[in-house]
Amino acid sequence: MKAVEAMDLTKMYSDFKAVDSISFDVDEGQIFGLLGPNGAGKTTTIRIALTLIRPTSGTIKVFGIDCVKSAASVRQISGYVPQEVSIDTDLSGYENLLMYSKLYYTPKEQRGQRIQDALEYMELADRQHDLAKTYSGGMMRRLEIAQALMNRPRMLFLDEPSIGLDPSAKTAVWNQIMHLRDEFGTTMLVTTHDMHEAEVLCDEIAIMNKGKIVADGSPTQLKDDMGGDMISITAHDGDCSLILREHGQLLVSKPDEGTYELVVAQGEKAIPAVLESLEAHKIHVESVSLKKSTLDDVFLKYAGARIQDGGTWRDARVTRLAMRKRKG
Amino acid sequence: MAGCASHEISDEEAKRMIGSKFLRTVSTLAEFELRKLRHDSSEIFIRGVQPALWLLVFGTALTSIRAIDVGSFTYLQFLTPGVLSQSVMFVAVFYGIMLVWERDLGLLNKLLSTPAPRSAIVLGKAISAGVRGIFQAIVVFVLALIINVQLSLNPLDLIGVALVIVIAGMCFSCLSMCLAPIFKSREKMMGIGQAITMPLFFTSSAIYPINQMPGWLQIISAYNPLSYITDAMRALLLPGYVSNIPLDLGAGLLATAIFATIATILFRRILE
Ligand SMILES: Nc1ncnc2c1ncn2[C@@H]1O[C@H](COP(=O)(O)OP(=O)(O)OP(=O)(O)O)[C@@H](O)[C@H]1O
Ligand SMILES: [Mg+2]
Repeated sequence: MKAVEAMDLTKMYSDFKAVDSISFDVDEGQIFGLLGPNGAGKTTTIRIALTLIRPTSGTIKVFGIDCVKSAASVRQISGYVPQEVSIDTDLSGYENLLMYSKLYYTPKEQRGQRIQDALEYMELADRQHDLAKTYSGGMMRRLEIAQALMNRPRMLFLDEPSIGLDPSAKTAVWNQIMHLRDEFGTTMLVTTHDMHEAEVLCDEIAIMNKGKIVADGSPTQLKDDMGGDMISITAHDGDCSLILREHGQLLVSKPDEGTYELVVAQGEKAIPAVLESLEAHKIHVESVSLKKSTLDDVFLKYAGARIQDGGTWRDARVTRLAMRKRKG
Repeated sequence: MAGCASHEISDEEAKRMIGSKFLRTVSTLAEFELRKLRHDSSEIFIRGVQPALWLLVFGTALTSIRAIDVGSFTYLQFLTPGVLSQSVMFVAVFYGIMLVWERDLGLLNKLLSTPAPRSAIVLGKAISAGVRGIFQAIVVFVLALIINVQLSLNPLDLIGVALVIVIAGMCFSCLSMCLAPIFKSREKMMGIGQAITMPLFFTSSAIYPINQMPGWLQIISAYNPLSYITDAMRALLLPGYVSNIPLDLGAGLLATAIFATIATILFRRILE
């Protein structure tokens, strides 16, 4: 059974298509990434899956359960970490977890243990009785993830989990997310703007732009679709082009200047072979450099724009945090 | 975590358990409202300032002017239950604004992603408003005692008042939760909050007896839930004040039921 199965899913806001007949499926035990710029429709897709809004047309199922027809059952097995701040900063960390374990009807005997496990796991145990408004952004995010674990979800939806975090907090969150998959087999759907994040976390990626899925596959597959990595070589002992052509697609060949650019499937593996065969022809290589193709290139190819052009998402989260703190 | 395969039966089970789930959701929401109050009760005192002014300035002034004939009671006695119910209404109307606020953050999305039934969430928030209303009313009540307003201190009467307050909190919070999915933005809801509380207050029996109002105002007042709430409180707090308590409670509950139903139906729209 697929963990998530979306078929021709469409969401219209008056006559604007926020999600435009997308289909995808997520295998059990996988981390699936929805990658796209601001306004791509990622959050809308997640909200439909979580039964918070209804699709205009199409279907989506979570572990075979229809998100429109059996909304409550889908919610019982799903966890959600929203893009925005979703903990109650007027309660302590512990109380935030207790509240959700009650809202998920966790049996009383199991509550205490689950809460302590989640607190330990997210490294919040020592601050559990402080009001959440005193937490740092990273701690709040970890508390939100802990909260989403209260019902031991089979399917966890994380909307931009590392948004607004500094690099070390980001890495910590990534490790915890991967740990959830590896240790508990939790299936996850993660949205992100961040190519690097998608590459580190995801087993499978769908690139979304303007409501449509424009490409999907594993990160490696997607990059291979680009035709692979670029090796630049400098060598002055005669014309290397014939030898290089045996290894891949020769984009640039300037024997007079001694520069060549070669596109290969997997750069690291190709370099030793290329060097060996050049050496066999007694050609001395002066320098080699490798430029890996990135998901950014993939995105450029399919969506016609660099993802960083998106804008001010970080500001949005920070403003929301500030608002929340002011209120508290 | 992968091991909870209960979903195949949970549709059937869900139907059987729906009653208990409903109550558990409602009581959880109320419990955590109380915990929030315990962490920080300053808001209750800040919100006590306005009712205090009504009692201390308006109440004492009109008592000495004797402009309004309230029978055998002093005007302050007559006014206190009115100010009590007004202060509860102000607290309750804030719940609609808070709903929009929680939507703008991620709290509401998160809350709605739990299996809790929508109606239980609406009712839970309504009861929370009632709970907060009780604490708000205690502040006003103590103040009234300090300035020596003669009120009934009979425990049964006070329990009755607490019940009326919970109904008032539910009624007006549900009213504002009906409006939240329609107006959706925090700024608009702030304005709406102002725009409904003052007219509700002035067209009710809170500051003057209904029988002394002009005819048109009497008609409006008869459709104003705040009049019934205030009347019930008067009957409980002022020995000798006559009012039809069952009618008052019935009117309050009917209004609550109507508003709660509309709020539940409209609730989904707040996320769209
Ligand atoms: N309630 C709504 N009413 C009208 N339009 C909406 C609504 N919610 C979202 N949209 C629009 O739908 C589009 C997709 O929004 P969505 O929030 O799903 O994007 P996203 O991919 O999550 O973007 P971001 O990276 O900024 O979070 C946007 O153009 C947005 O303006
Ligand atoms: Mg989003």
